[in-house]
Amino acid sequence: MIHYNSRRDFLKQAGLSALGINLAMGLPSLTRASATTATRKQRLIFVFSPNGVIPDHFWPETLGSEFELKRILQPLQPFRDQTITMHGVCNQIKGDGDGHMRGIGCLLTGIELFPGDIQGGSDTPAGWSMGISVDQHLKNQLQANPETQTRFGSLEFGVMVPDRADTWTRLSYGGPNQPMAPIDDPYQMFDKLYGQQKNRQILSSVLDGLQDDYRRLSQMISSEDRQLLEEHLEMTRQLEKDLQRELAVGKSDTSHSANEAGHAVPTLPANIEEQNDNMPQLTRMQMDLLVNGFAADFARVATFQITNSVGQPRMKWLGIEEGHHTLSHEPDDNAEAYEQLIQINTWYCEQVAHLAKRLSETPEPGADGSMLDNTTIVWTNELGKGNNHTRNNIPFVMLGGGLGWRTGIAHDFKGVPHNRLLMSYCEAMGHPVDSFGNPDFCHDGVLSGLV
Amino acid sequence: MAESPLHGSRLLAVFNRIDKTILFIRSQSLMQRLNLVPRPITGERRHLIQIDDIVRLCIAVSMFVFLAVMFLSTLASGDDTVTSGEQLTDANVLLSRGEAIWKQSCADCHGEQGEGVPGAYEKLLIGDESVGQLTKVIVETMPKDEAETCVGEDAVAVATWIHHTFYSEAARLRNRPARIMLTHLTGNQLQQSLADLYGSFGNSSEREDQHGLTARYYDGTSRKDDTLKIERVDPIINFDWGKESPGEGIESKAYFIRWRGGLKVDETGRYEIIVRSTAAFQMDFGRFGRLFIDNHVQSGDKTEFRKSVTLMAGRVYPLQIDLYQRERKTEQPPVNVMLSWVAPHGVEEVIPQRNLIATTPPATFALQTRLPPDDRSYGYDRGLAVDLAWDESTTQAAVEFASIAISELWPDYQKRHKDDTDENRARLRSFVGEIAEVAFRGPLTEEERQLYVDDQIEATEDDASAVKRCLLTILKSPRFLYPELDRDRSVSQRVANRLALTLFDSLPSDKALREAARNNQLETEEYIRQMAQRMVNDDRCTGKMREMLFEWLNLSRLNDITKDRELYPNFDSTLVADLRSSLNALLDDAVIDADGDFRQLFDADWVYTSPRLAEFYGDLWQTEPNETSDSDDGEENPAEAFIGLQPTNELKRVQAKAPYNHGVLSHPYLMSGLAYSDTTSPIHRGVFLIRYLLGRTLQPPNAAFTPLSPDLHPDLTTRERVQLQTSPETCQVCHSKINQLGFTLETFDAVGRFREKEGQKQIDASGSYIDQNGETVTFTGTDDLAQYLQGSDDAHRAFVGRAFQHFVKQPIAAYGPEKLDELIEKFRAGNFNLQNLLVEIAVIAATPPAPTSPTSNTDS
Repeated sequence: MIHYNSRRDFLKQAGLSALGINLAMGLPSLTRASATTATRKQRLIFVFSPNGVIPDHFWPETLGSEFELKRILQPLQPFRDQTITMHGVCNQIKGDGDGHMRGIGCLLTGIELFPGDIQGGSDTPAGWSMGISVDQHLKNQLQANPETQTRFGSLEFGVMVPDRADTWTRLSYGGPNQPMAPIDDPYQMFDKLYGQQKNRQILSSVLDGLQDDYRRLSQMISSEDRQLLEEHLEMTRQLEKDLQRELAVGKSDTSHSANEAGHAVPTLPANIEEQNDNMPQLTRMQMDLLVNGFAADFARVATFQITNSVGQPRMKWLGIEEGHHTLSHEPDDNAEAYEQLIQINTWYCEQVAHLAKRLSETPEPGADGSMLDNTTIVWTNELGKGNNHTRNNIPFVMLGGGLGWRTGIAHDFKGVPHNRLLMSYCEAMGHPVDSFGNPDFCHDGVLSGLV
Repeated sequence: MAESPLHGSRLLAVFNRIDKTILFIRSQSLMQRLNLVPRPITGERRHLIQIDDIVRLCIAVSMFVFLAVMFLSTLASGDDTVTSGEQLTDANVLLSRGEAIWKQSCADCHGEQGEGVPGAYEKLLIGDESVGQLTKVIVETMPKDEAETCVGEDAVAVATWIHHTFYSEAARLRNRPARIMLTHLTGNQLQQSLADLYGSFGNSSEREDQHGLTARYYDGTSRKDDTLKIERVDPIINFDWGKESPGEGIESKAYFIRWRGGLKVDETGRYEIIVRSTAAFQMDFGRFGRLFIDNHVQSGDKTEFRKSVTLMAGRVYPLQIDLYQRERKTEQPPVNVMLSWVAPHGVEEVIPQRNLIATTPPATFALQTRLPPDDRSYGYDRGLAVDLAWDESTTQAAVEFASIAISELWPDYQKRHKDDTDENRARLRSFVGEIAEVAFRGPLTEEERQLYVDDQIEATEDDASAVKRCLLTILKSPRFLYPELDRDRSVSQRVANRLALTLFDSLPSDKALREAARNNQLETEEYIRQMAQRMVNDDRCTGKMREMLFEWLNLSRLNDITKDRELYPNFDSTLVADLRSSLNALLDDAVIDADGDFRQLFDADWVYTSPRLAEFYGDLWQTEPNETSDSDDGEENPAEAFIGLQPTNELKRVQAKAPYNHGVLSHPYLMSGLAYSDTTSPIHRGVFLIRYLLGRTLQPPNAAFTPLSPDLHPDLTTRERVQLQTSPETCQVCHSKINQLGFTLETFDAVGRFREKEGQKQIDASGSYIDQNGETVTFTGTDDLAQYLQGSDDAHRAFVGRAFQHFVKQPIAAYGPEKLDELIEKFRAGNFNLQNLLVEIAVIAATPPAPTSPTSNTDS
C-alpha cells in the first residue's frame, strides 16, 4: 500500500498540476472524476422542421453571450444558457434536384444528389444523396468502438412523415443511395425498443391460464399421449419461473445505472392514430421514447424528423387551417401568413424546448448532472427562409452539453459552407475527419470559436 | 438433415414409453443417414462411404456367409412348416424347439428378443429376409465360430421362431400394434396453419392456371382510363425498351406500367427476389399495398434490388410492380426491367412463366420466424420434440403473426364492420373470437372465450396490445398447437380438422370446409370423399404432393451436384438448376396433375428441356417442340407481340426421345446425382432403386470405403470394378441385390448422358431383382427396368406407403392392419392416380379407429 506524507505529495504523485488542484478537489472523488471524464457519454440529436423560418423573428440581433431570444426562440428561455445559435452557415451544395430536395437531402450529408427521376421545381431531376449523413457516420464510428457501442447505435424518429419514400422525405442516409426511413409510428418505435421485453411480460402473464387449459384438455386423451402434454407443461412451468425471475430484476431496480434503466418500459397512451390533428400528441410520444431510449443507452445518436421537406402539417390546434408549406410561399407582406408562420415555427421551437426539458429533468445515468448536460440537440431546417428558398443561413440552433461547446452564445459565421459544421460535429464527438461530404467545401476545416 | 438438440433424449423417451415398431423405423432412418447416396463430390474424391465403415460392414456380413450345400433342403423345410395349416401342431413344436435353441445358443449375443447385447451383437435383429434366407445364414454362420452346431432342422426351427417372434415386419406389428400418437404441429404445419389463419379473413382463392402477369401500360405516369393503352398478359418480366416506347400509343418520354398477379411457389424455403430496373418502381408482395421493394426514386446507377423471404410450397403470393418512366427536363436513361429470383437449390434466373399467375390472388402471410427442425426419427417429420427451442420459436411465430394481424387484419376488420356496435370493444372481441375459432379448429367454449378473448382484451386499453396479448395466448394454446386435442368436437369438425391437416398440413380455413363442419355434413364416407376430392385439387395439396415426391426420390440429398471439370467442362450450377426444374416439371405432368399416372414416372413420353440443356445433352434434348398439345404452350403469344421482351432460358416440354423416355429413370438430374464426379455409381443407383423406388430395407453399411480407382484398373468397366470390389461373398449378401439393380442404369454416364460404350467396351446393362415374395426378375437396361417398376408390387407398396406417411404422419397400421393392402388395390384400380390415392388416404386419416386405450377421467 502506498502512503502519502502530505496532500501535496499525493497531488504530485497523481500528476496533477497546480492548476488542476482546485478542479480535482472540487469533485467528490478523484477516481470518480477521472472515470467520468474518460467515459462521458456524448449524445447528439438532430431535430428537423421544414420550410424555413421567419429570420427577423428567429435570429438574435446581438451576438456573443449577451444575445436575446426573439419571438420564435422564446420557448428556449429556460435553457438560454445552454443554447447556441449559429447564423451564417450555408448549405452550398449545388447539383441535381430542387431547393427543397437538396435542402433536406444534403443537409446532413454535405454532398450532391445523384441524377434521378424526381423532377421538382428546378431544371434537373434528382435521386438520392451521394453520401452518408453525419448522424449515420457518427453512429458507425461509435458502434465500431466497444466502449461507445450501444444496442442500436442510432434511432431515426419521425412525426407525420408521409408514407412515401422520396428525396423530400429522407433526412438520414446510411450511405450513397441508402436513404433511412424514419419511424413515425410511436407504437412501431415502442416495438423496436421494448417489443421483446413487452412480449415476455405478456407471455409471463398468460402462462398461468394456458397451463390450466393444458391440464383441462389433457383429460381427453390416453395416458400414453398425456405424457407429451405433461412434458410440455413442465417446460412451461420452468419458463414461467425463468420469466418471473427475469422480469423481477427489472422491477426491483431503482438506481440510476444505465443497464437497469433499460428495464423501465415507458407507457404510451392507447390508440393514438397517425393523423394530422394528433401531431402534438405524437410528437410528445416520440420524444418520450427518445428520452427513455437514450436513458437506457439504446443509442447515442438520433434524428427527429418532423414531417418532411415541403411538409404540409395543418396546425389546427393553433387555429391555422392552411398547410405549412403553402403558407411558407406567401410573401412577407402577407401579414396574416407572416404571423402564422411565426406561430408555426414557435410551435416547433416549443417541441425542441420540451425535448430539452425532458432531458434536463432526467438524471444522467451513472453520473452527475442531467442528460441534457451530455446531449446536444441540433434543431435545423431544409431552408433559411421559406418564400425565397434560400439555403443560406440555415437555422442551426443547438442546446445542451453533448458536444462540449461553449453555450449561451450567438454566433455569426457569415456564410461558411455547412460541411464545416458537419466536420465540427464529428470532431466534437471524438471522431475528427479531414472532410465531410463534398471535400471542396471542407478546405477551411472545422469551425473555430466553438469550444 | 438437421437434428433438434434434444433429439437423443427424445428418442430414449420414445423408446421407453411407446412403441417398439419405432425401433425398426428408427433403424431405417439411421440407414438413411448412413446411406449410400452421394454427397457433393469434390475433386479430392471424398465419398460418403468410409473405409472404416466398410470394414465393419464386412465383419457383419461375414456372419451371413452363404453355404450352397445347405440351401435347398433348409429352404424347403422352413417355409412349408409354418405356412401349412395341417401342420399347425408341428409348427408349434418347431417354434418351441427354435425358442429353446435361441435361449441356449443365441440369446447371449442377440438378447432375449433379438434386441442386441452391448459388447456382443449390438444391433436389433430385424429385417425382411424370408425364413428360408434366415435359415441359410444360420446354417452357414451361427452360432459364431461354431456354425456347424446349428444346421438342418435346428437352423430351420431357430429361423422360424425368430421370424415369427420378432424379426419380420409382421412380428413387429403383432408385438406392438401401431397407434395414432398425439403430436404437436410440425414446423411446416405451423407455417401453413398461420398462413391459412391469415387467409381465413380474406377471399378464398380459385385455382388459376393462366400463367404470366396481367400488365397495364399507360401513356404518361397518371393512371386514367383514357391513358391506358395496352392491357395484356406478359409471360415474364424481362424487357429492354431502351429509349423507345414500350408499345403502341405510348410516348417514350413518360409512361407507367402496372404488372399484377401471383407468384406460385413450388418448394418451401428461402427465396431471394431480385428486381433489376433502370426506372423507378415499387413492388408489393404478399398483399397489394404491402410494400416489398421501394424504388420510388430512380437514383444514380442504383438499379439492382434484392430481398430474401421465406415462402411456402403450394402458395400463390400476390405480386405487383409499378414501373414509372417519369418525364423530366434532362435526358432519360434507357429503360430495362427484369424480375428474377433465386429459388431454393436454384441459381438466379428470370422468374419463369410457369411460376407466375395472371389473376389476382388473395392476400397471404408467410411466417419468417425460423423454426427448429422436427423429429424425423420415424423417417418423416413429426411434432414430438417439446423443448425450449421449439417453445421459443412458437412464441416468436405468435408475435410475428400478431404484428401482421395488428397492421393488416384488424384495420381491415374494422373497416368491414364499421357499422357494427363497438360498445365494450365489441368489434375487437368479435375479431379475436373469429381468429380463435379458426385457430382452435372449432367453436369456443365459454371458458375458452373468457381466457383467450375477454381476459386478454380487458388487460389492456390499447387495441394493438390487446390483439397481441390475445394472439400470443391463442397461438401458444394446446388447442392450436395440438390439432388432435379435439375429441370433444363434433364428428364433422374432427373430420374437417383431419382433412385439412392431411391434405394441406393446415387447419380448416376455407369457407366450404368450415361450413360443412359446422353443419355436420361430414358424417358419411361419401361426403368425406367428396370433400377430399375438392381439396386434392388445391394448390396447397399440390405443394404437399411435390414435397412428397421430392422425399420419395430423396432429392434433398442431391442439392449440390458437381462434376469433374475436365471431363464435363460445362456441367455447372446453372445446368444443375435447369435439370432440377426439368425434373420438377416432369413430376408435375406425370403424377401431380389431375390426370397423372404413377407409371408415367417410368415411361413419360415427354421431357422438359431448355436451350442450355440441349447444348449439353445434345440433339435429343432440342427445344423445338414436337407437340402442340401442351396447355402451357397454348397461351404463349409470339414473341414479336411483346416489344422489348428478352428471351430467357425457359423450359419447354418436348417429345421424349429414346433413350430419355423413361421419366425419372432416364432423367439426367437423378442419374448425375447418383454418380461420382467422374464415373457412374451403380451402387448409389442400386441403393436408390431398392430403398426408395422399391421400398426395401437394407442393413446399413456399417462400413464405408473408397471405390476402386479407375486409374488403377484401366481395363475394367465401372461394372467390372464394382463387381471386383464387392466380389467377396460377405459383400455379396447385400451387393448381389444392389449391384444387380444399379447395373441396369449403366447406359447413363456420370452426367446422365446416354452411352453405349465405356472406353472400348460395350455397356452391359443386364441385372436382376428378387422381390419381397422371393421371385427373381431379370432385365436388361432401362426399358426393362422401367417396365418392371410400373407393374411391381414392391414399387406400388413403396409409393403408397410413402404417400401415406408423408400426408398423414402416422403409421398406417394404426388405422387397421389391412389398410395398406386396400390402399394399394385402390391405387391400382384408380389408374395409379396420385390425387385419387390421396382422396382415399384422406378418407382413412379422417376417420381413425376409436382409441383402444380407455380415455380415463374424461368428464364431458
